[in-house]
Amino acid sequence: MAHKPKTKFRQELVDNDVVLSVRHLKQYFKVGFQARKFITKAVHDISFDIKRGEVFGLVGESGCGKTTTGRSIIRLYDITSGSVYFQGYRINAGSRWNEKEIKWKRIRAKKKIAELRQLEKDELAEERSDAQEINDQVLDAIRAKYAKQIQDIRDEVNEIVRVQKQKIREIKYDNKHVDPRLMSKIQMIFQDPVDSLDPRMTVEDIIQEGLHIQGFKNKAENSKKVVEVLERVGLIAEYASRYPHEFSGGQRQRIGIARAIIMNPELLICDEPISALDVSIRAQIINLLNDLKEQYQLTMLFIAHDLSVVKYFCDRIAVMYYGEIVEMASSDDLFKHPLHPYTKALLSAIPKPDPLSEKKRKRIPYNPVTDHDYTTEKPTLREIYPGHFILANSPEYEKYQQEIATIDADSAS
Amino acid sequence: MEKQVKNKEVVISVRDLKLSFYTDKGRVKALRGVSFDVYKGEVLCIVGESGSGKSVTAKTIMGILPGNGRVDGGSIIYQGEDLTKVSEEDFHQIRGKKIGMIFQDPLSSLNPIMRIGRQITEAMIINGDKIKRRYEALILEDLIAYKNAVSRKKAIIEQMKSNRDLLIDEFKDEIKAVKQDAALSDDVKKERIAAIHQKISKAKSDTKTQIDATKVEYAPKIAATKAALKDKSKQAKVEVKAYKASLVAERNKKLKDLNAQLKMAVGDAKQPIKDEIEKVKLDFINSVKLTHAEAKKQAIKVMEEVGIPQAARRFRQYPFEFSGGMRQRIVIAIALTQNPDILILDEPTTALDVTIQAQILDLVNKLKRERQLSCIFITHDLGVVANMADRIAVMYAGKIVEYGLSEEVFYDPRHPYTWALLSSIPDVDTKEKLESIPGTPPNMIYPPKGDAFALRSKYAMAIDFKEEPPFFKLSDTHYAATWLLDPRAPQAQMPKIVSERIRISLEKAGIKHGA
Repeated sequence: MAHKPKTKFRQELVDNDVVLSVRHLKQYFKVGFQARKFITKAVHDISFDIKRGEVFGLVGESGCGKTTTGRSIIRLYDITSGSVYFQGYRINAGSRWNEKEIKWKRIRAKKKIAELRQLEKDELAEERSDAQEINDQVLDAIRAKYAKQIQDIRDEVNEIVRVQKQKIREIKYDNKHVDPRLMSKIQMIFQDPVDSLDPRMTVEDIIQEGLHIQGFKNKAENSKKVVEVLERVGLIAEYASRYPHEFSGGQRQRIGIARAIIMNPELLICDEPISALDVSIRAQIINLLNDLKEQYQLTMLFIAHDLSVVKYFCDRIAVMYYGEIVEMASSDDLFKHPLHPYTKALLSAIPKPDPLSEKKRKRIPYNPVTDHDYTTEKPTLREIYPGHFILANSPEYEKYQQEIATIDADSAS
Repeated sequence: MEKQVKNKEVVISVRDLKLSFYTDKGRVKALRGVSFDVYKGEVLCIVGESGSGKSVTAKTIMGILPGNGRVDGGSIIYQGEDLTKVSEEDFHQIRGKKIGMIFQDPLSSLNPIMRIGRQITEAMIINGDKIKRRYEALILEDLIAYKNAVSRKKAIIEQMKSNRDLLIDEFKDEIKAVKQDAALSDDVKKERIAAIHQKISKAKSDTKTQIDATKVEYAPKIAATKAALKDKSKQAKVEVKAYKASLVAERNKKLKDLNAQLKMAVGDAKQPIKDEIEKVKLDFINSVKLTHAEAKKQAIKVMEEVGIPQAARRFRQYPFEFSGGMRQRIVIAIALTQNPDILILDEPTTALDVTIQAQILDLVNKLKRERQLSCIFITHDLGVVANMADRIAVMYAGKIVEYGLSEEVFYDPRHPYTWALLSSIPDVDTKEKLESIPGTPPNMIYPPKGDAFALRSKYAMAIDFKEEPPFFKLSDTHYAATWLLDPRAPQAQMPKIVSERIRISLEKAGIKHGA
């Protein structure tokens, strides 16, 4: 067929530095049915790039959409709108924007045409009442004039609809024809080490399942790889034949990491890998992930709710609040110049093992209604400092700039 | 610091508590001699890894151990009573009313199909039936006498059984030893094993006769107390009925008078009389029981106290309509309606976000201040508790290894396990590599000889594997159980990451004091 797009395995974004690029990602969920039906905007228009070898942190409270973002990237959800590029290939995209574009263009055209028809009617009526006798030629001329205008509008709309429909087809085609080998280069570690392992599979089956799916069917070779990877994550070869319930939480999380590492991923999405663990085990897992990062030169998307943990890992951090990125900066910069009130609130909530200063410390509450005044101007993500982005409108932008200046002056003196 | 010098009232005192769980795999020695005091209006934090016995301690205090858990020794003294020996029925007077508990997961501790208002007022209304309370108060003495008789019999039998089990365990170990003894010939082994088996059967039959004897011994006493209880309850029922009748009669008399007045009255004079009638009715209801309206009023007050906005509207919502932090607040509100002396919080913030966690910790702090509430706060994260803890007990493998005031434990930690816990907390100020504790806690079926933490500690010495360290006294309030404090031990330095952090925070505080 002529209109079928040829997009299979087409590299669209050519930038070898960028491994993952998320553009205007929106993820909406339909909740309820009939009269109670509404849409939850879990993620609302976020964009970021992750460079090769970088660890990117997504921080925010529960329900802010950080996990949804991770799951959208790895195609566990069909995203609503926007696109996700991995190594330049589009791996997930949504067509809601295009559909809305068609819908609204049509509605606007309809309105315009109705207006024109009304004008035509008025003009014809005027002509009829003015003239003593009806001049068909004049009337026809008027009719022709309006018909042409209407036709122009229709042509324009049809063109837009054609283009958008083509794009929707492309998106749908792309979504259906993602290279599974490419997808296996993205792996995910889940939050709950108990629920994410199948209780009826042995550790070996769990770890090598991905290999099997990818077509590595040589059992001897697979088990050799499993043993290798088990030892890499600090477990011993004998564990391969055991079942998940025989392990403690930390060991289970190690199995989850082994399952991800065996696919030789380039991008590792860590969805709160340590928040379900004890503090002492936490440090073990943090150190293990750090070692793996260096050994395999992994690029990581690290999702967490605790800024103190994220600081250990991440080169860049994005703070999310209710589906939007409110602040994004390099790790050191974010801790040096926390600007957005929500970031400040998060920082003030981190408990410290220091009773004297802790007893004096005041927590900063964040209330979006009183902290921002967005009645006159809507906020956008702006770059306030090289590499430091913040969600703000113009007055806020100026205020934040002053804040940076005062912080710098303080630290200089 | 001056505050702590004053002698504070001890609310609950745990002394040398030992406890085991009897499982298929063997006897899990969950607690091996735990001692601590909780003072009035103070927060005691129990810190340790999962499996160190912190939750078990809390459950023992609450008397909600699973069936296979048995107290082997020690005591929990609360208001002059040993909670380990209190019968289940008497515990109803303590559990919830005197000692409240809050669990880790706020969703699973709330009933999903009950409005939260009803859940908060439930206990208030159950305890608010004043007529029933009067009846219970009347029969209380006899009831306790009867229950005590029964429970004493049960406890003695239980003790006999557990002694027998211990004896049999020993014999079984002996059999194992005989079997593995290479020096003995097969015949001798058989002989010895048979002898031991005989001993076992003798122990069993002995215990059985003992138990039977105890049953016979206690039968008359139980029968007597039961009869007394029956008489008393009959009497009490009559008494309570008469009391209620008197209340009703009083009300009726008042109402009659008022109604007569109402008939006589004209115009505006009617209204005050009508009000008076309403008041009499309300007084009567309040003297009989706690009404739902009154309970709701109190519940909304408590909800506001724990920081639930729009409490009146929230009162009619279901648990799923609340976020995790709000649910935890509701659970705290339920506990507070009973006005407990002690609140036990078992990892109340582990399932919550950092921001919400901070709010809940602030709330606990506020309650401690305003209500003079004593708290036992259980957590695995030492970093969390700096803000609110007055005292800290660090637990490992069923024992307290370090116990002291918050400042002492944070700024002068002495036990290697405390060092390890402190060094595995991620910190915003430094970016040094974290030091993790290698390995996992020991299997408590076979608790390690000597210092339980020696296997995972790089400071372990030869004596750590042979003998258990005693508690070394560092100050009047600070104790640590490690051989490193022995004068003969070599000088050990705490990990650099910890000492550095302590130095920085002390310096900060010092500068602040100076300025």
